[in-house]
Amino acid sequence: MKPVLVVIYVLAVAASFSSRIEVVAAAALVACGATWFADREALRRVLRLSLLLGLVFAAVAAAAAVAWSSGLDRGLSIGASVLLRLVVLVTVASVLARSVDAEKILAAMSRVGMERLGLVFGLALNCLPHLGETVSTVWVAHRVRSGGRWAALKRLPALAEVLLAHTGRVADQAAAAAALRGHVALSRQVATVATKVRTVVVTGASGSGKTPLLESVVGDLQTNGREVAGFLQPAIVEDGVKIGFRIRDIATGVTVDLARRVEERSGEFGTSFEFYDDGFELGSRALDSIPPAAVLVIDELGPVELRGGGHWPAVEKALRTSEIVGLVVVVRRTLVPALVEALDAEDVVVIDLDDLESGRLTAVREALMTHS
Amino acid sequence: MKDLRPWTHAALYGALWGALEATAGTALHLGRVPFRGEIMGLVGLVCLVCLRRLQPQIGVVLVAGLTAIFLKIFTLGGLYPGPLVGIGIQTLAVEFGFIVARGPWAAAIGGIIAFGTNPVQRVITAWIVSGTEAATAVLRAIGEIGGIDARWVLVAFVSFAASIGAVGGIWAWRLAGRVQRRLRGGP
Repeated sequence: MKPVLVVIYVLAVAASFSSRIEVVAAAALVACGATWFADREALRRVLRLSLLLGLVFAAVAAAAAVAWSSGLDRGLSIGASVLLRLVVLVTVASVLARSVDAEKILAAMSRVGMERLGLVFGLALNCLPHLGETVSTVWVAHRVRSGGRWAALKRLPALAEVLLAHTGRVADQAAAAAALRGHVALSRQVATVATKVRTVVVTGASGSGKTPLLESVVGDLQTNGREVAGFLQPAIVEDGVKIGFRIRDIATGVTVDLARRVEERSGEFGTSFEFYDDGFELGSRALDSIPPAAVLVIDELGPVELRGGGHWPAVEKALRTSEIVGLVVVVRRTLVPALVEALDAEDVVVIDLDDLESGRLTAVREALMTHS
Repeated sequence: MKDLRPWTHAALYGALWGALEATAGTALHLGRVPFRGEIMGLVGLVCLVCLRRLQPQIGVVLVAGLTAIFLKIFTLGGLYPGPLVGIGIQTLAVEFGFIVARGPWAAAIGGIIAFGTNPVQRVITAWIVSGTEAATAVLRAIGEIGGIDARWVLVAFVSFAASIGAVGGIWAWRLAGRVQRRLRGGP
């Protein structure tokens, strides 16, 4: 909106609160005239019959009360003032609603560091049609199943429960999707490091043997006289169920608990696990003093790291300061692109264990040897 | 908020509130249903209390309220101040309730403030729009026709609305509990 229009509308609103009807009338004339030239659609929205009837009703009520109290002339004057004032206010509101751009609001939020709120608004806008459709569908199904309007009304709490639970599920799915993608606006953006060395990314489905493979790789490299640093994260399994993770410093062999599964929905970082500071500290120590010409093994980096949390600060520092000759990283398949982007890796080999029934150790060894 | 879920829940429950305003709110408005403002207020209260019970974090209700206001401005009803002020006050009331109390009491306090301030907000808005003379005349008319002081009429309205808010808040808390159990896979 042009600055001169802003000034005109501000003056019109201020003048509309005058006690003199001719001033209020002039304000209404100016506001409507300016809108006629600047945004006729906004004026058309004001001229809807239902809205105009509402304004007239409010003005008549005020006029009747004042007429009863102070006489007909005064009542008519006040009624006209109220009507004209409402016309000014509604016209200005209509123009404002049409001129404020949602994209600009989101961009402004981003500039002032409120990216998360901007993303929340974006998510809400995206989900609004789906939720609106769900409300309609659920209501129709509810009416049909209830066998009548009154029966349907009596069972409204059940309908509300279904809708609220559905909304909660969609919110959970949205959080999971954002976590998996390491969403930059809902989370801290992970800084990229320029990784020059050959990077072997080991991926595969849960339970495909990623950690056992890395244990074999470490043993193989050490047997061949190579320096190896980093950490492994073997699962803690009880009665065949994965209940957590330990973390082991490859250089020292020290092992501590990193995470344990907790009650549903009470985990940290959008996961079902509670994490322990001791685990992160061990991971940090494992990456702190890497000998020159070592191969760095990291098992594994997850959504938490790709959002800049967890082990990421230590990983980033290690990649910036140490003189490694190779890097082996475990990551789930959906995160491979995000990891490669975060590492800014120039020389990458991705080994998907689901494509390799045998010869896995050889594949990793050859991928590393190609370079070093 | 380190976890993403409070943010996504705030977005979704704010959007649900907006979607219900657009569907049920429009239907009630077109049908000229009595107490439609109170009914939609109850809808908002249920959304906010459920959100706060599922994601018990300070500020999450405010984010949902801002989301509802955002949707109201850009997709639903334009920039008419009444509903926006109503959503804002309701959001602040529920957030305040959950800061000073816990459990159903928090929801009841939120409901009492949200619904109790509604008549006062309408009176203030009417006062601003119609001017002092018209507002005073209306109050005198109420007093002389009904034979009672207009202030007591307002107090009666506020008390009635606050009672609805208290009952609605507690009911919303219990409903949120059922939603929580349903999401956990319980009965």
